[in-house]
Amino acid sequence: MQKLSFASGSKLAKPTDKVLIFLMLSPAVVLLVAGSLYPLIWIFRYMFYTFDGMRPPRFVGMENFIRIFTRDPWFWSSVRNTFVYAGGKLLVTIPLAFLLAVILNKKMLGRGFFRAFFFMPTIVSVSVMSLIFYFIFNTYNGILNQLLIRFSIIPSPIEWLGVQYAMFSAIVIAIWGAIGNYMVYFLAGLQSIPRELYESAELDGASESQTLMRITIPMMGPVLQVVIMLAILVSLRGYESILVLTGGGPSARTEVVYLYIFRQFFPMAEAGAFISQFGYGSAVAFVTSVIIGLITIFYLWWSRRMNEVY
Amino acid sequence: MNSKRITIRLMTYFFLLALAVFTVFPVLYAVLGAFKTNAEVTLGGTILPQTWIFTNFPEAWTNANFARYTLNTLYTCVFTTIGSVLVASMSGFVVSRKTFWGKKVLMGAILATMFLSVGAITLRPLYVLMLRLGLHRSLWSIILIQVATSQGANIFLVSRFVSAVPKELDEAAHIDGANLFQIYRMIILPLITPILGVVGLFAFRYSWNDYVLPSIFTMTRESMRTLTVGVVSLRYGESAAAQWNLMLAGASIAIIPMLIVYVIANKQFMSGLTAGAVKG
Repeated sequence: MQKLSFASGSKLAKPTDKVLIFLMLSPAVVLLVAGSLYPLIWIFRYMFYTFDGMRPPRFVGMENFIRIFTRDPWFWSSVRNTFVYAGGKLLVTIPLAFLLAVILNKKMLGRGFFRAFFFMPTIVSVSVMSLIFYFIFNTYNGILNQLLIRFSIIPSPIEWLGVQYAMFSAIVIAIWGAIGNYMVYFLAGLQSIPRELYESAELDGASESQTLMRITIPMMGPVLQVVIMLAILVSLRGYESILVLTGGGPSARTEVVYLYIFRQFFPMAEAGAFISQFGYGSAVAFVTSVIIGLITIFYLWWSRRMNEVY
Repeated sequence: MNSKRITIRLMTYFFLLALAVFTVFPVLYAVLGAFKTNAEVTLGGTILPQTWIFTNFPEAWTNANFARYTLNTLYTCVFTTIGSVLVASMSGFVVSRKTFWGKKVLMGAILATMFLSVGAITLRPLYVLMLRLGLHRSLWSIILIQVATSQGANIFLVSRFVSAVPKELDEAAHIDGANLFQIYRMIILPLITPILGVVGLFAFRYSWNDYVLPSIFTMTRESMRTLTVGVVSLRYGESAAAQWNLMLAGASIAIIPMLIVYVIANKQFMSGLTAGAVKG
């Protein structure tokens, strides 16, 4: 795989070129500064403040961080929930997507249709579909319980969005939306493996499982490493689906950390006081980013051997 | 041996079919539900409508304001798509072909913002910024933020594609007296349309399906809502319990156009996902 790099220009830019370079880059630079850098700087500043958006901000030093580390069990429980959510999603999605990619990489009847079907959930709106799932998972008039009861799989309705199963349901939706995405990544990876390897394995009389274990998986190492890193980042950050499905409830059972950040910005009515905490939210967002950064670094260290194709 | 192979094949197909049902069912259920009466939807228990009702769509369209939401979504989507393609193609071209002061810093900043995500709290400074610019009452606030937050990946994608275009073409045009912008417009742009199609498609999908940003920015302005915001708000609406059929009709209005785009361009969607990453 090629490293991220940019071809350097052929000659030194001429004066008119310099003006044009500046003009042509300016939209991107303005959007970068206003849309991405400015909010970051804002957060770096206000994480040391108390600020509710109405009264003037008040400098409090490290107080927000002290609160995170000593007096905010909700934050840490949301971090735990995030690990359960992301872990559950990844443990099912990655192997399943890989299996689908291996199956659908061979010539078979209906291959194009199956690929199109599995990728389809990534096309439709996460929020709208979470609302549909909310409807499907409904305890009494939801179609899921009704079907399960009709086929005598369960005796009485299950509270899919209740305390016990809400996280499970949220994970199912996340898996539903993610399989096709990773299947396509893996399909592209599989197609980059040289045909000759498979041909010589066939000549040597290798079985299908041997080919999979000895050729496909090792050759996919670098792709797997990058894709799993992306998957970890995306699943740790996901909250839109849960926001619509349960709003973090019941009893904060499905409150993931980015939803917790969202609720510092936009507290929900059921939480009682309707006061935004921009300062504290900034500190929480900062600590969360550091945690996720550490996880990424740990993962890259742990998975470093995957990058060596042998 | 042969019968074993057939069993494996049959099991594979059964597995694929079961998963296909799992992926397609929720979408199909929503669309079919849009043709049921409200009583049938509320009671549940059916997949196909007992009697097909066609009044949900016009009712959602006029009474639940979905005509307005659709218009807002289309407007936002079209300009986010055009903006993304313009910004990414210009910057991607310049970045790929030219060296200039501060290039490393710029690329580093773009890469950093792609991997760093601090969550919804950034919506506060962005909202205040739009307020100062006087854009908080306009869909342009949403358009600009959507273009800004997705431009990083697009610029990388385009710049890689431009790097594959032979430099001799630029040089020939340069000798003929074309300036940088003319080279971009007459030489590069026509040659990179495949990747711009991908960038546009992904920008369209992102804008069409985005929820948190438009829901915050249209909080006090119902007339600015997009489809996703409109559909979800029916869940929290005062008469929510009575309007499941409208919600499903609205959901279908939000889903079906994207599905049509997908049927037309599913190859581009799938290849676009990996165009930048894997085929380095």
